[in-house]
Amino acid sequence: MRRLRNSILRNCILAVALGGLPAAPPPADGDIAIVVRADVPVDNLTFAELRRVMLGDRQFWASNLKVTLLVRAPGAREREVVLKTIYQMSEAQFRQYWIAKVFRAEAASGPRIVYSNETATELASAIPGAIAFVEALQAPKGLKILKINGVLPGDKAYPLR
Amino acid sequence: MSIRPLVMSVLLLLPPFSVAQTADPATRELIERLLSRIDTLEKRVAQLEGSAPRPAAIAPAPFAPAPIAHTHDQPPMPDAAQPSYPSLKLAGFSDFNFAATDLQGPSNGFGTQTMLNPHTGFQEGQFALHLSSALSPKVSVFGELSVTARSDAGTGSPPATGFNAELERLIVRYDLNDYFKLSFGRYHTPINYWNTAYHHGQWLQTTVSRPEMTQFGGSFIPVHFVGMLVEGAAPAGGLNLNYNAGLGNGRGQVISRGGDIGDINNHRAWLANVFVKPDRLYGLQVGGSVYRDKINPLGGAPVREWIESAHIVWQKETPEFIGEFANVTHQPVGGGPSVHSQAFYAQTAYRLPDPARLWKPYYRFEYMHIPQADALFRSVPSFASSTVGVRYDISSFAAFKLEYRNYSRRNLPSINGAFLQTSFTF
Repeated sequence: MRRLRNSILRNCILAVALGGLPAAPPPADGDIAIVVRADVPVDNLTFAELRRVMLGDRQFWASNLKVTLLVRAPGAREREVVLKTIYQMSEAQFRQYWIAKVFRAEAASGPRIVYSNETATELASAIPGAIAFVEALQAPKGLKILKINGVLPGDKAYPLR
Repeated sequence: MSIRPLVMSVLLLLPPFSVAQTADPATRELIERLLSRIDTLEKRVAQLEGSAPRPAAIAPAPFAPAPIAHTHDQPPMPDAAQPSYPSLKLAGFSDFNFAATDLQGPSNGFGTQTMLNPHTGFQEGQFALHLSSALSPKVSVFGELSVTARSDAGTGSPPATGFNAELERLIVRYDLNDYFKLSFGRYHTPINYWNTAYHHGQWLQTTVSRPEMTQFGGSFIPVHFVGMLVEGAAPAGGLNLNYNAGLGNGRGQVISRGGDIGDINNHRAWLANVFVKPDRLYGLQVGGSVYRDKINPLGGAPVREWIESAHIVWQKETPEFIGEFANVTHQPVGGGPSVHSQAFYAQTAYRLPDPARLWKPYYRFEYMHIPQADALFRSVPSFASSTVGVRYDISSFAAFKLEYRNYSRRNLPSINGAFLQTSFTF
């Protein structure tokens, strides 16, 4: 009975996949999605714009909506990808960067550190203007996934993986 | 749990001939990964079902209609997400030094921060405390306090050694948006890269000491500025154009000091600073500044001061490069020829690759030329110097630095010195 159930389930998934129904690419395992609350007035960022947001050089989505960065704690894969691809910094350089940024009075505080993807998405849902990074397969439906250079996670040209 | 309803639903939703279509390799790979994941999850479920006690039968919950959601409804904000104001944060920087030089007698214009002492020994660095606090989403306060060892800070005659406390920076800033931020307070004058990049955080800078043109206690450029500042940034087609425009009191009667307690004349100093950080060359910063003031020096004739400066910086560590130039023009108010003093430095460093990535060797060349006709800069040294050293990051928040310096001075013997520093943030 159990084998039959598995077999049916496999065939169903196979049939749906072969049908090629979805127009958008499915989120690929390993891609990091950039999620924001639905009221953030941005759907697409160039990679350079994303870098400016992450560096704290762009601090406003709009005049009445400030950016709040949510970054995973050291050890998380999301953090490693963000540091490697966007910041191009080591852990030590990243820490020094934000210490210096606050010391220069260019930002009142550094990114908020979150310890799980669940917390990241929960805070991203709750804080106006928050931006978080989660595994694309774990991105919740209530949040908006931003396109980077016009593409979503799952696309071959997607830069965060 | 039965999956029959799910399977039936999926089958009903299938297009009639979908199975006949072919899949590309990426799709097949995705399918294989999903099937593999199903296997893993089913094994895990089987393990859990085998180990956990069977729960008692649970009565089905009565049907409750879902609440109607409005478009303006937002999820409740968890406590951790609630902003609280003021949100005071503290950070500190300090350093401890050892210096040995072949200097005989006074250093003739170099300040205590340059550590050119005729005696070998230890020296306490500055203890700097940094405070930042958001008062609202758009209003922030920043402060920097320093405690510095001085030979004349104490009481008595001759004055005993001691410590001087100083409010280095105090800024209250209103951020309208990225393009426009207005602030008031006491700043490190934004006409020089080093002055606004490292402030009193010795740990942040690669080298033991600052370049002489921007040394604390020095006079070449006005290190502090008291007044108001407008600043902002715009994408500018990928150039990332940043600007500062300021109006303030300018130098005090002692020209190394800012006009903290008020201006010494009715002429405000003003400054303009622009720099770009192009997207295409991530890490590059290029900029320039102008500064204008009228100075009434203690015991001297009033002069008008123009400062033009430029910088180019590669902010990464493989390599790191900082180059700055400044020209200071002094023109007597009562007439007479203008005099021009120049200073520049070029510093390069390189973070070594693994397994030596904690090491960062560096080199800096400095040059400062003060014409003898520049009466206002009579106490500023003219020299050329080379600094070679290495930084070792003992942790993410502390470093050792060892450097050798050679100064060739105009009409004076050269100076050689070795300097060791441990600097840290906390």
